[in-house]
Amino acid sequence: MKENDFVKNFALQFDETDPESISLSTNFKDLEEWSSLVALSVMAMVDEEYGVRITADDFKNSSTLADVFETIKKRL
Amino acid sequence: MFSLQDKRFLVTGGSSGIGRQISIHLGQQGAQVTLVGRNLERLQNVTAEMKDGNHKCFSFDLTKQNEVAAFIKQQIPFDGIVFNAGIVDYLPIKFMSDEKINKVFDVNFKGAVLLCQQLIKNKLITKGGSLVFISSISSKLGIPGTALYAASKAAICAYSKVVASELAAQKIRANCICPGIVITPMTANAEDVSTTSLEDAEKEYPLGYGRPEDVSALVTYLLSDESRWMTGTDLILDGGLTLK
Ligand SMILES: NC(=O)c1ccc[n+]([C@@H]2O[C@H](COP(=O)([O-])OP(=O)(O)OC[C@H]3O[C@@H](n4cnc5c(N)ncnc54)[C@H](OP(=O)(O)O)[C@@H]3O)[C@@H](O)[C@H]2O)c1
Repeated sequence: MKENDFVKNFALQFDETDPESISLSTNFKDLEEWSSLVALSVMAMVDEEYGVRITADDFKNSSTLADVFETIKKRL
Repeated sequence: MFSLQDKRFLVTGGSSGIGRQISIHLGQQGAQVTLVGRNLERLQNVTAEMKDGNHKCFSFDLTKQNEVAAFIKQQIPFDGIVFNAGIVDYLPIKFMSDEKINKVFDVNFKGAVLLCQQLIKNKLITKGGSLVFISSISSKLGIPGTALYAASKAAICAYSKVVASELAAQKIRANCICPGIVITPMTANAEDVSTTSLEDAEKEYPLGYGRPEDVSALVTYLLSDESRWMTGTDLILDGGLTLK
């Protein structure tokens, strides 16, 4: 799993947010567009791309994309 | 108070949550209940909890038609059926696929429809019998992420109306119940994917979340002869959620 691809896939779940503004160090929950539907889209993307299940609790316990990336890596 | 003494009912998804409570409630009213689900151990635990009576359980997968047919062969007529087995899957529309559609519809829609077809074809529903379909309030709302679940439940509501009209000549009734959130193992699923806590979401419910008993109370009424004039309805049971 490549970091760059993960950031790109994560950013794709937003429609209004400039993908360029999203990086591994972004606090995603602070993004204006972050919502329960975007969260659900990220979960579905992670399941589809990496075959890993992440939950709302994982988002609660993460601040940045890097934190989510680490959680997925541990479950690969 | 109506009586269900010695009536024979079939409850799908009797091993957990709402179906478990429906089975127990029917047993308490003197009915003989047949429970089905995939997990035999959980089914047996429920029958062990039930009041004395001739209760049975059968474990099979409602999406496997050979297993459904084998079950049907061993049955004698029922006075009522509760089509309760169901699954939920939360998925934004852009992630839908043929596989995901089938996963939800195979259980929630086809599972009920094909079991019903087998029961009717084999004359396993008595004259004056009652069919109860457990749909969901989601079928009437537009909660993000619930498209497949909501559509499968709306399909069951529509199906049940046609069943009601086709079977009216035999005095067999069909009704749908659309519950709001009832705390069961299924709601734990919702908690996994929702960034709003269940506690916060409960504020949307004027009467709070439901309990499995709230659904089983309505089911027992619909299965009884007291509801003999009620057919083809969708009953909303949601603690006032849709008042808002
Ligand atoms: N809880 C709620 O808030 C709520 C709200 C509205 C509507 N509902 C509806 O109420 C019904 C019961 O829900 P619940 O909350 O009690 O859920 P639950 O605790 O997860 O129980 C679901 C039941 O369905 C059975 N089932 C699932 N797939 C099956 C299959 N392929 N073949 C045979 N049995 C199967 C399960 O048994 P096995 O796992 O042993 O197969 C289990 O007994 C569902 O139709 C649900 O959509 C629930």
